[in-house]
Amino acid sequence: MEIVSQGLQSIIDGLLTGGVYAMIGVGLSLIFGVMKVINFGHGEFVILGMYSAFFAFSALGIDPFVSILFIAPLAYGLGFLIHRLVLSKLLGANQQSTQLATLGTGLIISNLLLLKFGAQPQSFYNESSSNTWSVHLGTLELRITIIRFVAVLLTAVLIFALNYVLYRTELGRAIRATAQNRLGAELQGVDTRKIYAVVFGTGVTLAVAAGVLLLPILSTATLTMNTTFTNKAFIVTVLGGLGSIPGAILGGLILGVVESLGSSILPLIPALGNHFGSNYRDAYGLLIFLLVLLFKPEGLFGRTVKRV
Amino acid sequence: MYEKTQLDDVAGAGNGRGAWSHRAQQTATIKIGAITTLTGRQADFGKQQKTGFEVAIKEINAKGGINGQKVELQLEDSASDVNKGLAAAERLVNAGVGVIINEYSSSIVKAQAQYLSRQKVPNIVVSSSDESITKPGFDYVFRINPPTDKYAEVLFNVFTDMGIKTVAVLGGTGSFEKSVINSAIEQSARTKLEIVASQTYDKGLTDFRPILNGFKAKNPDAIFLVGYQEDSVGVMRQSKEVGLNPKIFAGAAAGFALPDFIKGAGSSSQYVVTATAWVPQMKTPNNDKLYVKLVTGLGGQEPTYHAAQAYAGILVAADAIKRAGSGTDREAINKALLSTNLSTSYANIKFENFAGYKNQNNLSMVAQQVQKIGNKLQFVPIYPKNLFTGKIEFPTPAWDKR
Repeated sequence: MEIVSQGLQSIIDGLLTGGVYAMIGVGLSLIFGVMKVINFGHGEFVILGMYSAFFAFSALGIDPFVSILFIAPLAYGLGFLIHRLVLSKLLGANQQSTQLATLGTGLIISNLLLLKFGAQPQSFYNESSSNTWSVHLGTLELRITIIRFVAVLLTAVLIFALNYVLYRTELGRAIRATAQNRLGAELQGVDTRKIYAVVFGTGVTLAVAAGVLLLPILSTATLTMNTTFTNKAFIVTVLGGLGSIPGAILGGLILGVVESLGSSILPLIPALGNHFGSNYRDAYGLLIFLLVLLFKPEGLFGRTVKRV
Repeated sequence: MYEKTQLDDVAGAGNGRGAWSHRAQQTATIKIGAITTLTGRQADFGKQQKTGFEVAIKEINAKGGINGQKVELQLEDSASDVNKGLAAAERLVNAGVGVIINEYSSSIVKAQAQYLSRQKVPNIVVSSSDESITKPGFDYVFRINPPTDKYAEVLFNVFTDMGIKTVAVLGGTGSFEKSVINSAIEQSARTKLEIVASQTYDKGLTDFRPILNGFKAKNPDAIFLVGYQEDSVGVMRQSKEVGLNPKIFAGAAAGFALPDFIKGAGSSSQYVVTATAWVPQMKTPNNDKLYVKLVTGLGGQEPTYHAAQAYAGILVAADAIKRAGSGTDREAINKALLSTNLSTSYANIKFENFAGYKNQNNLSMVAQQVQKIGNKLQFVPIYPKNLFTGKIEFPTPAWDKR
């Protein structure tokens, strides 16, 4: 009984965390899918979001769920600008160059944050952020943290909006065309340079928005979290298949659930002693990652790409 | 006020003890080496320590220095990183300082202690409390603060007093946290309390909900926590979210004893009992004056035990230099440290060998609880009962009854 209620609670927790992982992953996947650029600065954009929300809250007194409304457009502008000033100069250059450029941009962002905020962790405090809903199922009591639920809802809205743009609008058609064949799209009159900037801006917006939503969930922002987020983003996208948006969503949810189940259920199994607990949290995710790479290397939703 | 002379530049720029000319030694100030985390994720602790160092140096110089010579602090930054901490220690060793006081994080200090002992440079540990730093210990390492078993001891004394039967333990995977967790397991054997769950987590995401849910299933009387700043805030906020309701939450100093803990965790910090090594209410000599000086040094911020320990560390170093008759003779200073018996506002300091420890100051810890006084949450010292007037608020009410 203990394991059942624990399991259900862990799955809910995992889905809630996984939703935010999905948002981080979708941004990375979109940029890769269209531009074939691996954004090594993705984690930095997530912490940029956390610190922006922290700044908006501590200096201006604006709640993250409100500040996201103006932080997100600013993030889009920043991504658009970074593409115009940095990445567009590297069109047609080899992959290493664009990878180094994104890595360098990430370094600049994290060091600017270091300069402004210092390296000590920044605590975010808001009484309402630990409010929960309780759901009773017979004797089981399941608790859902309201802000995490709202964060997942917002993630869903953003991802649906993205999907709508991609599959129902002229812009989306141009983006998909560019992803399929840049030269072909160019010949049909698509301004692919602009499309790239739009896509990079959107990817950055998703990362920054995920950061804003994560601040009240994690209650602290630390600069060293960037590598954690970049790693999670890679795991999520590779799990689902690089470049696939539904894949990134599923990848995020799977990662969240596996981590959560692993760290709360395994310690309850007496035969395992107390050896496998939350100290292996990252390992559970990586284990699934390895299994996917072994048995379905293109990812759950990925397509095999033949190189010529 | 001390002014930098050309001779100091020669001494400072030298790359080894050879550069300290005989003449330079006679006229230069006495330098005491210190390392702390001025930058990096533990910079808050570094700020406290730096203030403690500076208050002590100012005090010594106001009283005329050591044997007529002024004292100067040579401070190096470890940037919250083991390798940078070792580099900082190396710089001080090469600069020829006679004694080095080091910082806060056990993972960083342990590496420094090993290195300094090999270099035969006396090393005064002031805040980091991993047992293995003085157990079995090193010939040149002296520790003024209590090791982790004392942290656990005072909290388990509170537990037994309150009739606690079962405990769940949660901590990080660093040297300090692991040492505290081991101490807690030892203390549970001594006090015959049952540890029903024990979990560790890696640094990274501050999402403890899966662990706390696991604890909830075991329904322990007490939760014993150990972690740095960001973790302590996260754990308490999320305990509220998952509805974890033990009779008492106890934190073993570190992040839980910082003023930022109350600021960050807000109302969820209320009723948390934490161990600490020093509080301004202690009746040590001139403690009230030290408190005022530390508050001024920190620009109005509340001082923590780290500041008081850093302050005492400098006084111990100065005392040893005075008795050794030299600010640079490391062997003489080491010998003088062995016979230290110094009363400070932090505590009485004497290095002893006991229970497997070497050159360890034998002190007990204080327990304090976050209580609401008027409308403000603050730390109130409650243990040992004979020292303080504060009373523990027990049991901790359930989250939905607060």
